[in-house]
Amino acid sequence: MKKLLLFLFVPLASFAQQTIPLTDLQAFDQPSSNWTIEGALKAKYTDTSFQVSSGKGVLVNTLRHGKYKRTDDLHFKLNHGDIHFMMDFMLPKGANSGIYLQGRYEVQLFDSWGKKTLKFGDCGGIYERWDDARGKGKEGYEGYAPRQNACKAPGLWQSIEIDFEAPRFDASGKKIKNALFKKVILNGILIQENIEVSGMTRGALFDKEGPLGPITIQGDHGPVAFKNIRFETYDKPTASLSNITYNYYEGKFAEPVIGAAAPVVKGKLAALTHKVIKARNDYLIDYVADLNVPEADEYEFQTHWTGSGVLKIDGKELNSGAHWYTDKVTMKTQLSAGKHRFELIHVKDFPWGPKALGVFVKRVGAHEIAFHDRTSLPDPEAVGLIEVKALSEPVYQRSFTFHGGKKKMYVIHVGDPTGLSYSYDLKQGAVLQTWKGSFLNATQMWQDRGEPQTAEPLGQTVLMDGKFPLVLSSQMQGDSAQLVYKGYKIMHGRPVFYYEWPAAKLVVEDHLNPNKLGNGWERTLKLVGTSPMASMVEAVIGNSPDVTEISPGLIALQGSGYYVQWEKTPALILQSGPGKMQVRVPVQGNSFTYQLIW
Amino acid sequence: MNKAIKLQLSILFLIVSLGAFGQKPSKKTEQDFYEIKTLPIPQDLYLEVGGLATMPDGRLAVSTRRGEIWIVENPYQKNSHQTYYRRFASGLHEILGLAYKDGVFYCSQRGELTKITDTDRDGVADLYEPIYQFEISGNYHEYTYGPVFDKNGDMLVTLNLAWIGFGEGKFSKWRGWLVKIKPDGTLEPLSAGLRSPAGYSINDEGDIFYGENQGDWVGSGRVTHLAKGDFAGNPGGLKWAKEPNSPFKLTLEEIPDNSAPMFEAAKKVKNLKLPAVWFPHAIMGISTSDIVQDSTKGRFSPFPGQYFVADQGQSKVMRMYLEKVNGVYQGFCINYREGFQSGILRERFGLDGSMFVGMTSRGWGSTGKADFGLQRLVWNGLTPFEINEIHAKPDGFELNFTQPVDVKSVKNAASYALRSYIYEYHHQYGSPIIDVKDLKIKGISVSADKKTVRISLDGIRQYFIHEFVLKGILNEEGEPLLHETAYFTLNQIPAGDKLVLNESTKIVEAKVEVEVKEVGGKKELISETQVMALLKKHTCLACHAKDKKLIGPSYEDIAKRGYTSKQILDLVYKPNPQNWPDYATEMAPMSHIPAKDVLKIAGWINSLDKSKEKLLNRD
Repeated sequence: MKKLLLFLFVPLASFAQQTIPLTDLQAFDQPSSNWTIEGALKAKYTDTSFQVSSGKGVLVNTLRHGKYKRTDDLHFKLNHGDIHFMMDFMLPKGANSGIYLQGRYEVQLFDSWGKKTLKFGDCGGIYERWDDARGKGKEGYEGYAPRQNACKAPGLWQSIEIDFEAPRFDASGKKIKNALFKKVILNGILIQENIEVSGMTRGALFDKEGPLGPITIQGDHGPVAFKNIRFETYDKPTASLSNITYNYYEGKFAEPVIGAAAPVVKGKLAALTHKVIKARNDYLIDYVADLNVPEADEYEFQTHWTGSGVLKIDGKELNSGAHWYTDKVTMKTQLSAGKHRFELIHVKDFPWGPKALGVFVKRVGAHEIAFHDRTSLPDPEAVGLIEVKALSEPVYQRSFTFHGGKKKMYVIHVGDPTGLSYSYDLKQGAVLQTWKGSFLNATQMWQDRGEPQTAEPLGQTVLMDGKFPLVLSSQMQGDSAQLVYKGYKIMHGRPVFYYEWPAAKLVVEDHLNPNKLGNGWERTLKLVGTSPMASMVEAVIGNSPDVTEISPGLIALQGSGYYVQWEKTPALILQSGPGKMQVRVPVQGNSFTYQLIW
Repeated sequence: MNKAIKLQLSILFLIVSLGAFGQKPSKKTEQDFYEIKTLPIPQDLYLEVGGLATMPDGRLAVSTRRGEIWIVENPYQKNSHQTYYRRFASGLHEILGLAYKDGVFYCSQRGELTKITDTDRDGVADLYEPIYQFEISGNYHEYTYGPVFDKNGDMLVTLNLAWIGFGEGKFSKWRGWLVKIKPDGTLEPLSAGLRSPAGYSINDEGDIFYGENQGDWVGSGRVTHLAKGDFAGNPGGLKWAKEPNSPFKLTLEEIPDNSAPMFEAAKKVKNLKLPAVWFPHAIMGISTSDIVQDSTKGRFSPFPGQYFVADQGQSKVMRMYLEKVNGVYQGFCINYREGFQSGILRERFGLDGSMFVGMTSRGWGSTGKADFGLQRLVWNGLTPFEINEIHAKPDGFELNFTQPVDVKSVKNAASYALRSYIYEYHHQYGSPIIDVKDLKIKGISVSADKKTVRISLDGIRQYFIHEFVLKGILNEEGEPLLHETAYFTLNQIPAGDKLVLNESTKIVEAKVEVEVKEVGGKKELISETQVMALLKKHTCLACHAKDKKLIGPSYEDIAKRGYTSKQILDLVYKPNPQNWPDYATEMAPMSHIPAKDVLKIAGWINSLDKSKEKLLNRD
C-alpha cells in the first residue's frame, strides 16, 4: 500500500551540532558591554525590556550606555561558509534585531507579533539588498517576506533554524554562485526555502562578498536575548565511491541473496544507478565499489529502493529490508580512514512500483552526498495542498488528528478570521493545540481515500495538555470516562461545547472566543446547575515543565510556549509530577475565564 | 516483426445472427425510457455525496464527504434548470448518511450519530448533538453509514470493517454490524457479518436489505436480507458476538474457510444468512451501494414494488425483483440504467417519483469520470420490453414480460442461453465462478396474454445463481429485450405442479443460421470497432478504457507490460491484483469470457504498444 505523507512543518533532520557555550562570552569577538551572560528572563508581553536574573545559559543584550551603536553588534568568533544554524531567542515588545550570516546576509528578527501583512523586515524575513545607483526610492531590492507570520508573543522563547549555503568563488576570486538560504524555519514553520540572494544586506560587516565570515547578531536596535545556540558547518571531507562495478542477474529473487546464480551482464558505472538494466522486475543487481573514507568517523548511510536490498560495508550488513522507494532507511557506522569494500544488492521481484535506487552518505561536519545518479531515484508523488480557510467567518472542521504522537478521533478544529485557530478533543473537553496563521491542512483527509484521516494546523502551533480543565479541589485531572459529551451549539459563529460532569453534578459549558486584542483565545468555563460540589471546582489552566509567574494573573508556561492570563483569584502552582508543574485557579461563582496568549 | 501481430494473423471474426426476422426495428436504448437529468453544482463546491434526504417542502438535502450539508433549492428544475445551494451545516467528519425527520437532520459521521438542529430558524444549523458516539480506531476504512429510520422512529446504522489487508472489526466495537439506536442513545446490535455495508433500506414489509461489496469472504456483490441474529458472512466483526447483548454467539473458528460455496457453510453455521440476490461481479456492478424499493406507485418506473440497486464503480442503477418462497427472499437482478456521471453512493426518491442519485468516486474510481455529481433519474412513462418478474417454479421458472412476446421466438431454444453457477466462500478477496452448468430447456408454455412464459429446465439447483441470457426473445413488434441478461438466485425451490411436457410445450430446436465472415484480408488486424464490441459485450469497458485510467488500468498501460496473449488470458481468468497496486479495486476473475474472445482482445491490447516499447527501451 502506498502511503501519503505530507509534512508542511519540517524541522530539518536532526543534526549533530556544535553548541556555543553560554557560560561566558569567550565565543564572541570583543562584545560590547551591553552583552552579558544571565540565568533567566521574564517579561510581560507588553514589556519593552526584560526582568533579568543572574546565572548562566542566556545571552542578553541590554542598553547600558545611553544609546545603541553599531559597535553593539555581536560578532561570533566562528568564521563560517555553509552553515546550519539554530538558536532560541526572546524579544521584548517592539524589539528589532537580526542574524547576519557571514556578517553579510541578514535574516530579520523583529517583534512582528500579531501583524497581518508581512514584509522583508518582519521576523524571519530575508532583509533586502541596497544599491544607491538604482535611483531614489528604488535602492532596496531582493527582500523576501516570510511565508507567514510565525512570530510568538514578546517575552516567550522562540526558535529559529537557518540552513545557509555560502557563495562560491573561482580561483581568481570571481563569484560563480550566489549565497542561498536553503531553509529558514521559525517556531517550527518553514517560512523561506531556497531563496538565492545576489548580494549582501545593506548593514553588512564587509564591503564585499567572500567565502567566509562570522555570524553577527544585530545589537544596535534594542534588547534581545538568545540561548541554545547550535550549528553545523561543512568543511570536513567525506566519503566517496570509486571503481563501481555491477553484476546483473535475472530471475525471481525474493531476498537480496545471489546464491548460485550467474550474472547475465557485468559492467562499470560512474555512479550507482538501476538504469543500466531494462527489466521492470525479477532481477538482482549486485553493485561493488571502493568506499574511500578520508578520516575515521561515524558515517550515516541512507538508502532508498523499491523491493528488497542490503548494503554491506566490508561485508558487514547495514541497511536492509523490503521498502517502498520513499522510505528513508538510515544506519550509522564507525569507519576507519582508507579504502573499504562497498556492496549493495538490490532485488525487485514484483512488477508494480517505480524502479528506484538511492544511497546518501552523511558525515557530521560534511554535506550529505549522493552515491547514486540523480535519475536513479524518482521523485515522490506530487500531491497538492488541500486547505480549509477561515477567511470571513469562523470555520470548524472535524477530523482525526495527532496530538503528542497519539491519534485522537473526536477532534474539531476551529479557525477564526482573526487568524487564531485551535483543535479541541470533543471526547475529552480539552484544547489540544492552538495556532496562528492559516487554518487547516486537510490533505491527509481529503486526498484519495484519505487513509490517515488526519488534519493539521497550517500555522505556528502551541501544544496544550489535552485534558479537561476542571477538577475538584485536591483531586487529579480526570479523563473522558468522567465526562459526558453533549454536543456543541454555534453561538456568534463559534462552537460552545457542552458536557455533563457527573463527579461534580454539574453541566459545563466551554466557550472559546478571540480575546479583545485578537492575540489569543479567551476561554470561559461556565458551571450550570446547582451542586454542593460547585464551591470545590478548580480550573487547571496549565501543565508545563517550566512555569514562570510574571505578575499576579499572568504566568508564562515557557516549557509549553504560551502565557495564561486571568483576573482576581491567585493561582496555586503545584508540582504534579517530576518536572511537571500545574497551575490551578479556584473557580469562584459559576464561571471562570482565562486567556491563552502566545 | 512484432510478435503481437503474429499471434493474430489467423484469427477469424465470427458474426452470429439469428435471422428470425427480416426487417430489424432500430434497437431501443435505456435513454429512450429513462432520462438522466443533471443538477448543476457550483464550481467551487466539492459535492462528494455521502447522503441524500428529500425534504417534504420540495428541497433536497445533500451531505458530503467533506463534512457539509447543503440544501438544494429547485432540485426538480421545474421552471428553470438552475439549482441553488445553501449551506446548512459544515465541519462534520465524512457524512455518509443523512436523514430528515420532523424538521431535524440526523447524520452519521465517522465516530458519531449526530442530530443537527436549526434552533433559531435562520436556515443554518446551530446545534450539533451526539446521539451515539461510536468506537473508532482511526483506520480509514471504518466507515459509518446511516441512519435509516424504522417505523418506530429508531435509527439503523451500519458499521464498516477496518481494512488492514483484510476486513477487520476487532479494533472497535460493533464494526461489521447493523445496529439499532434509539433516540435516547441506547444501542441494540442486530446483525453481523457485514463487510462494507454502504447502502441499506427497509422495504414495505419492514424487512431490512443491504448491499455488500465483493471482498474477503464475499465472492461477489450481493443483497442480503438482515433479520435480528443474522450473520451475513464476513466474520471480521465476530469478536463482538461475545458481548452480552449480542443476539447470537459465533466465533471465527466456527466458520468454514475451505472455498466451498456459502450455502455449504450455512448448513453448519445456523446464523449464516445467504444473500437474497447475488450480483455477479463485474457484470452486475463491482461495488453495490444503495438499495431502494420503488414506493412511488408507478411514478418512478414501470416496476412498482421492485428494488433499485446502485453501483459505485460502474456508475449505474440496476433493478432487483424479490419474491418470497418458504419465507425466504430470492429473486433476480438486471441492468436498468447506466451512464451516470460519477460513482453512485446514494439513491433517494424525490417528491415527484423521480430518483435523486448522489455520487462520489474519490479513492475508488468509477466508470463515470466526474469526481462527484448529483443527478436525477426520470422515467418518461413509456414501458420498454423487459423481463418484469421471474418466479421460481418446482421445475424451472416463470418469466413475466412487460409486453406480449413473439411466440415463435419464445419457443425457439436458440433464443436462450441458460446456465447456473456459484461463488467460493473463503477469506480470500472475491472468487471465480465455480460449478458452472449449462441448462437445457425441457418445455415451454406461453400464457394466453403472451406475457408470461413458463420454462421447465433440466437441473435447476437450489442456492445457485441462474443466468438468463434471452438473446432471441422478441415482442410482437419484433423488438428484442432492452436488457436480455438476468441473474436469479434460487434460494428455495417451491412446491407445486410441474409443467406438463407435451406437444404444446415442446421447444423448437430451430437451426440457427450462422454466418461466418472473414473480416478484411487475412493479414489484417482485428479492427478497433470489433474489439470495442467485444469489450462492451463482456463488460470490460465498465472498468477499462483504451487510453484512460478508470477503475482499472487503460489498455495502453496494460500493453506497456508486454504480456503475451497467453499471459493476458491467464490474467483475465485469474487476475493478480498485486500487479496493479495503484488501483483501489481488484479485478474479478472473468473466466466466463470465451478464450477466443480474450485472445482477440489480448492481440489488440498488445498492438497498442508498438511504438512505445522502443521508446521505453531507450533509458
